Amino acid sequence: MKFGIFYELSVPRPWDAEAEHTVYMNALEQVRLADRVGFDQVWAVEHHFLEEYSHCSAPEVFLTACAAQTERIRIGHGIVICVPEFNHPVRIAERAAALDIVSGGRLEFGTGRSATWTELGGFKANPDDTKKSWDEFVHAIPKMWTQERFSHDGHFFSMPSRAVLPKPYQRPHPPMWVAMSSPGTEFDAADRGMGALGVNFASFAETEQRVKEYRRRIQNCDPVGEIVTDQLASVNFLYCHPDDARGVDIGMRMIRTFQYMAGQLDMAKEVFPTRSYPTAGLLAQTRRQAAGPGDERGAPEGIAVGNPDQIIGQLKKWEACGVDRINLLLNAAENIPQDQVLDSLQLFADEVMPAFAGAREPVGMAGGGS
Amino acid sequence: MPVSGRLDVGGALDGAVELETLDPEPWELPGARIVQASLEIVEAAAEAAIPPALHPSIPPYATFTVVEFPESPVGPFHLAQVRIVARAGIRPRGFLVGAVVDSEPAATALAAGWGFGTSVGEVGLTVRHDRWIGRVARHGQTVLEVVCRDPQVINGADVDLLDSLHLVRYEGDGLIVQVDPEYTYREAHRGGAELGVFVPDAWGGAVRPTSPNVAVAVVADTDLPKPRFVMDPNRPAVEGTRRLEPA
Repeated sequence: MKFGIFYELSVPRPWDAEAEHTVYMNALEQVRLADRVGFDQVWAVEHHFLEEYSHCSAPEVFLTACAAQTERIRIGHGIVICVPEFNHPVRIAERAAALDIVSGGRLEFGTGRSATWTELGGFKANPDDTKKSWDEFVHAIPKMWTQERFSHDGHFFSMPSRAVLPKPYQRPHPPMWVAMSSPGTEFDAADRGMGALGVNFASFAETEQRVKEYRRRIQNCDPVGEIVTDQLASVNFLYCHPDDARGVDIGMRMIRTFQYMAGQLDMAKEVFPTRSYPTAGLLAQTRRQAAGPGDERGAPEGIAVGNPDQIIGQLKKWEACGVDRINLLLNAAENIPQDQVLDSLQLFADEVMPAFAGAREPVGMAGGGS
Repeated sequence: MPVSGRLDVGGALDGAVELETLDPEPWELPGARIVQASLEIVEAAAEAAIPPALHPSIPPYATFTVVEFPESPVGPFHLAQVRIVARAGIRPRGFLVGAVVDSEPAATALAAGWGFGTSVGEVGLTVRHDRWIGRVARHGQTVLEVVCRDPQVINGADVDLLDSLHLVRYEGDGLIVQVDPEYTYREAHRGGAELGVFVPDAWGGAVRPTSPNVAVAVVADTDLPKPRFVMDPNRPAVEGTRRLEPA
C-alpha cells in the first residue's frame, strides 16, 4: 500500500490578496513535509471556474513548485482534462514531459474529462463528446512522447508531422492513469493498460469485486502506451489526531465543508442530459463516500479520520479490497489550521504508515534515460 | 462559505400566496407534455431574487418551462414557470419567481395546494418535428417563447427535472414549500435552448438570461404530491429544513 496526498486547492471567501497565496503556500509546506516523511505521491487536479471548491487551474505550475521543493515524492499531474476546448493534446504532452524532466522522472500522468457543467459549459464543450475526445487523446499522447515525430488525423484534432518536444525523462514514458468519473471507467482503464484513480464504490464488497474484474481485464489489455500501469488508487480524507474523538470531530468538519462546496457546482448530469454522464462524477462519489452511515464514532465507514489505530483499521479494509494506493485530501477551504494539518501528516507517517508493508519504499519508476 | 441569497423575504411575502394547509390532496397528472430551456443568468440579479436560505448555483441559471396537462382534477390546463436554480444546502432546486396558468380553477387549486403564485394568461405548447415551442401571453403581449430546437431522442433516465421551491405565507410567517413531482417518461428529447421572447418584468424582473445551456422536451406521467419538506426562508437550508410528517 502506498499513500499520496491530493490537492483541490480550495480557497474560502473573502478572496483578498492573501487568500489564494496562503492556500498555495500552505499546500507547498505540506508537500515538503510529506516528501520528508515518506508519502509516495502528490496529486493536483485541473479545475476551472469552481469557486471556492478548487482554484487549481494551472496544476503544472503548482506541481513544478512541488518538484523543485522535494526530492523523492512522485508528482501526480491529474487529472489533466482531455477535452479539446480545454487543452490541445500537444500542449498536454509538452507540459507533462517538461514536468517529468524538472522533477527528475517523478511524473504520474492522470487523465480525465471533467464532470461539471460549470467547466464544460464555461469552455463550450459538448458533454456528449468528452469520453470520445479523452480516448483519442490518451491514445495519441504516448505516441507524441515516444515517436521522434508525430502526425495525426483524428476526429478531435489533426496535425502534420512535428516533433513534440521535450520528451519525458522516464522512458518509455510516465505511468498513465484515468480518473473514475462514471461506473465502468475502471474497465476503460483496464482495457487500455492504465491505472484507475479515485476508486470509491458503494461498499467494500463492491470495491473488491470491481478490483478483481479490473485485474482480470488488464491482463488482456491493449495498452495505449508502451507500459501498463496495473494500479488502483482510492481517494480519502485524512485527519489524524492522538485523541480519536477530536480527530473525528475535526476531520468530519473538514469533510462537511468539502461536501458543501462541491454541492454548489453545476454537475454535467444536472444541466445537460446525456448518456455520457450517467452519474455526477468523482466529486459526487467522494461526497457519497464521506456521507455514508457513520459508525458509533460518528465517521462513515472507510474514512481516515480519528486516531492512528482507528485510521489503520479503516485503511486495512481498503487494502483488503486490493486497492494499491490511497490519496488523501488534507484540508478543505483552510478549515483546519495549518499547524494541525502538519501535525496530522506527521502523526500519520509516524504511526499509521508503519502498519502497511511497502508504504515508504520508493516506487522505482523514476530515473529516466533509456 | 458560498454566496447566499439576498432576497428581502418580508417584502417578497407581500405578494406571496397564503397557504392554509400543508396537506393537500395529491394530483395525478398523466401524459404531460413539457418543454424546458435552461439558460445562464446574470449573477447579481439571481442573488437578489433568492432568499437567504439558498445559495445560487455556480454558475447561476434559470429554467423556463411550459407544461401542457391534458388531464387533471380541474381539467386540462397549461402552466408556465420561470425558476432560478439554487442550492438548498447541497441539493439543486428551482426557486419559483413567476408562473402563468391558462385556467382560473387551476390557478386557484395550484395556489391553495402547493403555493404556486400564478397569474392567469394565455399559455400554449406547440410540438413540431424541428422544435417544441411554449408560448405565454398576458394582456395580449407575448412575455415568453421558449424553444427546444432540433430535438433529439434521449433516454428519459438521463433527464433531471428539478424539484421546485415556493415562497408562501403560512400561519403568519414566511415558509418555503418544496414541490417534488415524480416523472415517468414516455418520450424524452434534448435540443438547443432558445428564448424567442422573454420579458423580464413579466416574471418579477430578476431573471436576465445570458448564455443558453440546453433544452428538453418530454412527455411524462407526473404528479403533484403532498409536500414533504418545508424550510425557513431566512435560515440556511441545512439548518432550517423540516420534514413534514404524513397526515
